Amino acid sequence: MIIRKLCMRQSRQLLALSRRAPVSSRFQSTLPETPVESLQTSIRDEIPRAENPLFEMVQAQSEASTPAQEFTSDELQRSNFKKLGTTVKSSYDPENVIRNPPKPSQISLEMLLAAGTHLGHSTSRWNPQNSRYIFGIREGVHIISLDVTAAHLRRAAKVVEEVAARGGLVLFAGTRKGQKRAVVKAASLAKGYHIFERWIPGSLTNGEQILGHCETKVVNALDEELPDFKADLADRPALKPDLVVCLNPLENVVLLHECGLNNVPTIGIIDTDADPTRVTYPIPSNDDSLRATCLIAGILGRAGEAGQARRLKMAQEGRTSYTPITAQELRLDPFTGLAPGSEGQKN
Amino acid sequence: MAWHKPTSLTQAMQSLRLTTTLTKPSAQASRTTLNTLRPRTYATEAETIPAAAAPEINFGAFSQKPARIIPSSPSYFSGSPRFIDHVLKLEALQAKHAGLPTVATSEAPRMAWFKLPQFRDYVGEPVPMKKYKSLVKILQRLNRIQPDMVPEEVRKAVGAFLRPGNPYAVENIPRTVDENGRARGKGKRKESTAVVQLVEGEGEVLVNGKSLVDVFKRVHDRESALWALRCTQRLDKYNAWIRVQGGGVTGQAEAITLALGRALLLHEPGLKPVLRKAGAITVDARRVERKKPGHVKARKMPTWVKR
Repeated sequence: MIIRKLCMRQSRQLLALSRRAPVSSRFQSTLPETPVESLQTSIRDEIPRAENPLFEMVQAQSEASTPAQEFTSDELQRSNFKKLGTTVKSSYDPENVIRNPPKPSQISLEMLLAAGTHLGHSTSRWNPQNSRYIFGIREGVHIISLDVTAAHLRRAAKVVEEVAARGGLVLFAGTRKGQKRAVVKAASLAKGYHIFERWIPGSLTNGEQILGHCETKVVNALDEELPDFKADLADRPALKPDLVVCLNPLENVVLLHECGLNNVPTIGIIDTDADPTRVTYPIPSNDDSLRATCLIAGILGRAGEAGQARRLKMAQEGRTSYTPITAQELRLDPFTGLAPGSEGQKN
Repeated sequence: MAWHKPTSLTQAMQSLRLTTTLTKPSAQASRTTLNTLRPRTYATEAETIPAAAAPEINFGAFSQKPARIIPSSPSYFSGSPRFIDHVLKLEALQAKHAGLPTVATSEAPRMAWFKLPQFRDYVGEPVPMKKYKSLVKILQRLNRIQPDMVPEEVRKAVGAFLRPGNPYAVENIPRTVDENGRARGKGKRKESTAVVQLVEGEGEVLVNGKSLVDVFKRVHDRESALWALRCTQRLDKYNAWIRVQGGGVTGQAEAITLALGRALLLHEPGLKPVLRKAGAITVDARRVERKKPGHVKARKMPTWVKR
């Protein structure tokens, strides 16, 4: 029985082997005189060789030997294939909000909605102080009012711009996983400073110990370094930011507390479970979605960029919108306010 | 004397002319200066100079004035700005060249990155081990780029984190029998260390200047000390001069076994499978386990007492 089954199975396969390919048999049935091969060759000749990417690919693969050559041929092939097919006109690129963030003037409710800034927390977790930012409840989740978000975001952008235009130090802090690139990008746009790892407690209140070894420099109004004043920087107190933008205030309680103690104004993304009185300028928004926080950081970065541009333009004209530190003040002892030699003379 | 030079003369005349135009206060006069200047040429002048453009505005004073004190690095408030700047720079490089082909880790050129203390000296900040490891991870990824396609900027950036001198350039020189026909082997067991000098001879053995019988009273120890020669039947073909120190009798005997086996391998590399099978070149790395607090010995607990 086994042998019979084996024969049946094998014979079926053998039959299949000898059968002609269906395409060629059809050609034969319709045009028995036409040789199949010549038809195929004529089709191949019709296509110009250079335009056919497949042909180039095959040729490149046969020619390439070293990895470098292989790589260049792959690149060529990729660029060739890019020309083929349909062109996708409108698509969502998650990188775009980091690479090219929108300006504050481009803020729209659609943009905020698309980024999911309206999604709050479960109603049971709410902080009643946020009730004026809340639009309603949907499926047990608080929905933040988008027009309020837009208004607060515009106000915060204005604050960042004005601080940057007056030569202030803007610090962007986002210590959650995934916020690093947005924070660094915003800081580089606004010529500000960034924190994407843990805020070291005491960086403001005990700055001498924690930031004492970090380098500072004296710059002129055009932001060019003046190395002549390096000696005067020796025993100055650590610098403090003039504005702090915090993307996750819930995790950075210590940072906000220190800012409060040092009279440093803060901008913070306030979700429905956060305390809005912790920050000076709250932006009611979803702080758990990376897309929302990246968008807000990008907008504030763009605002800072505009402020810096304004400040540098003024400096080109020889004006400053802030009182610059004078060489005389730099020479004085920062703590006693006396000239370096005068103390010894008194004694 | 400057007056002797013709160029200085012309300069003096020009300056005189300039002062006369400057002193004229009325607007009418200043308007006419251009017309009046043109025909007034002097014989000493080489060529007539058309109305010279106004001198450049001197921004020097403004640009030399200090305005602000700002941090040198955007990572100032993180407390370790140099380290974070390095990480960001390397990450940007990695992202930029992510598309380049890579080789397997085993095929990448071996690099001697900074040890942690060296790296701390390099950046001047107390960087923790974990963060340094994350930086080395990026470096290793950059190092895996196909060696002949590494961009110059990557090569430069990666090169900054290498230890001075290349420790992997030095190849191990295989040991051989020296010019006097001596093969030297070292062995360790327990606390003992043995060094054997093995030469071809008639089977004489000296351990610390004494005969084998004097050093090892037990037959078993003598057997095990010369086990490498015995199992290969080379007892009467070599003379051994042995120095052994530390530990007890058994340890010394077995340290000699290992040292002798290694020295014999230098004379006759073909014996390796035999010696390996006989256990003469197998290292016994066991050492006495330390005593722990709360234990009587290494692992023994004190006897349990009810109350």
